[in-house]
Amino acid sequence: MENNFNHIIKHLKQNILKNRTCYGYEKEEQQIYDLLERTLDCGESNSALLIGPRRCGKTLVNNNNSNLVISLVNKVLEQLQLKDNFQTDCILVKLNGLIHTDDRLALKSTTSQMQLDNVVDGKVFGTFAENLAFLLECLRTGDKCKSKSVIFILEAFDLFCSHHNQTLLYNLFDVSQSAQAPICILGITCRLDVIELLEKRVKSRFSHRQIFLLPHDSQTSKSDALEDVLRKIEDYLRVPEGSVKLKTNDTLTKQWNKSLTNLLKDKKFKNVIQRLIDIDNSESMLKDFLVKVIFQLNGENLTVDIFQKQLNMLEEDDMIKVLQDLTVLELCLIISMKHHIEIYDNNPMNFEMIYNRFIKFANANAGVQNFQRAVILKAFEHIQGLELISMLSNTTSKVQKEYQFFKLLVTPRQILEAVKKSSGLPTEVTQWAHSSLT
Amino acid sequence: MATDPVVLSLKQSLPCRDSQIDQLYNLLPGKDDISIPSVYICGAASTGKSAVVTSMLHKLEIKHAIVNLVECYTSKILFENILNKFSDHTFDPTNPLPYAKCDNLMDFISHLKGINGLDKSVLVLDKAEELRHMDANLLPAFLRITELTNLNITVILISDIVFEKYYNKSTDVEPLKVYFPQYNKDELLEILTLDFDYVKSEAAIDFDVDFYKNYLSLFLSVFYRACRDLCELRYMSRVNFTKYLQPVVQKQCSVSDSMVLWRNIAPVLKNSLEVLYLRVDVTSDQMNNAAHSLELPYYAKYLLVAAYLASYNSTKDDKKIFVRNTGKKSKSVREIKAKSKVSEQLNTQLGPKPFTFDRLLAIFYAILEEKVGFNNNLLVQVSSLVELRLLVLSTVGDGTSLDGQKYKCNVSFDFIHSTAKTIGFNIKKYLSDFRHL
Repeated sequence: MENNFNHIIKHLKQNILKNRTCYGYEKEEQQIYDLLERTLDCGESNSALLIGPRRCGKTLVNNNNSNLVISLVNKVLEQLQLKDNFQTDCILVKLNGLIHTDDRLALKSTTSQMQLDNVVDGKVFGTFAENLAFLLECLRTGDKCKSKSVIFILEAFDLFCSHHNQTLLYNLFDVSQSAQAPICILGITCRLDVIELLEKRVKSRFSHRQIFLLPHDSQTSKSDALEDVLRKIEDYLRVPEGSVKLKTNDTLTKQWNKSLTNLLKDKKFKNVIQRLIDIDNSESMLKDFLVKVIFQLNGENLTVDIFQKQLNMLEEDDMIKVLQDLTVLELCLIISMKHHIEIYDNNPMNFEMIYNRFIKFANANAGVQNFQRAVILKAFEHIQGLELISMLSNTTSKVQKEYQFFKLLVTPRQILEAVKKSSGLPTEVTQWAHSSLT
Repeated sequence: MATDPVVLSLKQSLPCRDSQIDQLYNLLPGKDDISIPSVYICGAASTGKSAVVTSMLHKLEIKHAIVNLVECYTSKILFENILNKFSDHTFDPTNPLPYAKCDNLMDFISHLKGINGLDKSVLVLDKAEELRHMDANLLPAFLRITELTNLNITVILISDIVFEKYYNKSTDVEPLKVYFPQYNKDELLEILTLDFDYVKSEAAIDFDVDFYKNYLSLFLSVFYRACRDLCELRYMSRVNFTKYLQPVVQKQCSVSDSMVLWRNIAPVLKNSLEVLYLRVDVTSDQMNNAAHSLELPYYAKYLLVAAYLASYNSTKDDKKIFVRNTGKKSKSVREIKAKSKVSEQLNTQLGPKPFTFDRLLAIFYAILEEKVGFNNNLLVQVSSLVELRLLVLSTVGDGTSLDGQKYKCNVSFDFIHSTAKTIGFNIKKYLSDFRHL
C-alpha cells in the first residue's frame, strides 16, 4: 500500500519538477521556427531576441534523459531537427551567459561546438582578436549557398552585454548583417530593457526583431484566473488511471483522484488558492507551491489543511524567525535600536548609544539581568553578523568599533511581532518593546 | 516512510531536530530518482545544520561533496575542491595535484560531466553567504546546476542568514527552504545532559545524572539570557563544572549539599559570563584592565589624556574648561540644564573628533601643573603614541611632519579614566559631557 503510494508521489514529482511545457505561445513559436528555418533552408542571416518573464519556459534545456521537458525553444528545435537537411546543413551553438562569462570562454566553447577544435589546435594565436578572426574566417569560407548555416542560441543574453567592448556580440551581429556565412542569432533573456544595454555600434547591427512572451491572460477577470489556476492544479496533480508505467493499483489511483476532485470543489481550498494568486500568479510560483505540498505528504491523501499550512509558511517572515532565535540580551539591544530610530527619525546609531539606552533600561528594572560591557558588545557583533544591522561606511580602520554608525535593517513591526511570538521573555522586556518610557 | 531505520537512528543521535530530519529526508534524492535542484538551510550558529546534513548523507550513503566556502576564497579553489571530492581524488604526497585544473565555471561544468556516477548526488555548500562576495555568476549557477550540467545534482546551501539577503538582479531561482530554529531552554538542557558520560569520566568523584542536571539548570539560569549558542554553552559548562565540584572534592561538603554548592559557584558563573566567547581563563591576569598593563611614560600619559580631551571636547568649549580665571562667575543650575544635551548627542557617544597638533600641545600645557620644556623628547612621545595606535591619524598626509596633520584619540573612556587615575588627574572635570553633573 505504502509502496504504491510512493509511486504516485514519484509520478507527481516528475510531473511538476520536470514539466516545463510552455502553453499558449503558438504564434511566437511559429515565428521562431520560421526564422530558423529560413536560415537553414535559404541561408538567410538573422538575429532575434526572445524576451519573457523568468521561468516561463523559454530556456533551453538539455533533454536527453526525460522527454517531458519541453520548453519553447526546445520545441522549435525539435521540429527543426526532424527536417532532413538539419544534420548536414546546420550547426547549433549554445552559449549561456552564466557559464561563458567572457568572450574568450565563449569563443572556446563555440570552437568546440562547431567541431573546429582540430583546425584550431595546430595554430598558435597571438591574441584573442586573431582567434576570433580565424573562426570567423572559417564561417566565411564559401559563398552564401555553399557554407553551413550556424544557429547561435545565447541564453542569459543580458550577461553577454557586460563583456568587454561587447566584442562577441559585435562580431556575431556583424556577420549576420554582412553577406558572409549564414548565421542566426537567437538571444534569450528576461530583461525588457536589454536593447538599451547594447552599445551603439552593436545595436545598429542588430535586426531589432524582438519576440515577447507576455502573460496572455491579463485581461481575464478574477474568477477566471482562479478557474485557470484550479485547472492547472488538476493537470499537475491528477494521476492517469490504468497506466502500466506507474505500477500502482487502480483503487489507490482512483482514491487519489477522487480526493483531488473533492478538494478542487472545496470552498476553503478555493480561498487558499485565491490568496496564493493574490500574492503571485506566476506559473513558477504555483509549481514551487505544489512541490512543497508534495514533499510534505507522508502517506496521506491531499487535504485543505496541508495547503493551508503551506500557505501560512509561505506568508511567514523569515526575519521574524531569526529575531525569535536571538537571546534575551540581543533582543533587548534590538528593541533599544528600535526606540532609537523611532525617537531620532531613522538616524543612524552606534554601539555607545544603544549600550547607554539598554543600561538605562536594565538599571531601571530589577528583573532584567545586567551584563558586562564586553558581553553586550559581543551580542551587538552577533546581531551585526546576522545582518540585522549594517554598517554605514566601510572605513573600519579609522574609528573604534563602538563609534561605527549602523542602520537597522528590520522594521519596528517585525520586532514587535517577534517579541509577541517569543515565549519566556521577561515581562519588563515585552512592555519596553511597546513603549520606550521605562 | 518515517520508519526508515536511518531516520530513527539519526533522531536518536541528534536530539530535538526531529522535524528538520524528516523534512530533509523527504527532500534528499535517496528514495526515487527525482531530485530537487536546490535546498537552502538556514538557522542560527550551532543548531545542528551541518551535523544533520553530514550525518544524513553519510548514513543514507548518497554520493556527496561537502565544501566550506570559508576555505574557498577564490572560485578556482572552490571548483577544484568540489571536483576533488566528487571524484574521490587522492593526493599524491610527493606531487599534490588536484583532480583537474579548473579556473572558471565552464571548465567546472565540463569536468563535472566527465565524472562518473554523479547522478543523484548532493553538493553541500556550507557558509553559503560567502557566495555573495564571489563571482556574480556562482550563486545563480549553483541554484540551477541541474539545468546547466544536465546531471541530477541537488545543491544544499547552509547559512546563518535568511535567503532574502541573497536577492540581487540575477537570483531568479528560489530554493526550497528548511529552517533550523534555535534550541529552547529545555532542549538545551537535554542536549547538554548528553555530556554526562564525558564529564563523569573526567571528574574525580562519583555522582549521578540528576546531580549533573541540577548543575546544568543552575548554569543555564545564569547563561541562557546572554547566550544560546550550544557550542559555547557546552564549553562553558565543562569549564565551570570542575569548579562546581571543587568543594566536594576537597571534602568541604557532600554532593547533596546543593545550597553550599550554589553559593560557591554563583560568583564563579558570574565571572565567567563576562568572558563569554573570549575563551580565556578567568583566573589569569589577562582580563585585567589594559590600562594597567600598558606602561607609558609620565608625560606620555598626560599627552594621551590631552588627546582624549581634545577629541571629546569641542573647540569652543576649550576656553571655558582650560582657562582658570575667565572672570565670569559660575553658571546657575538652570543655565546648565538648558545647555545639557540629550544623551545621543554627547561627544562621548558620537566618537572622537579630529584635532590639530597645536591644540593637543595647548591642552597638554594647560592640564600639566609643572612647567616642562618643549623639546624633542616630548615630540617623540607623540609619534610613539601614534605607533601604539593610541592616537590615529585622521587625515592622510605625507607623514613627514607631526604638525599639519590631524589626529584622533583611539582609546575608550574606561581606558582613559584609569590612565588618568594613575597620574592623579580627574578627567571628568575636564570633559564637557560630564561637567554639569
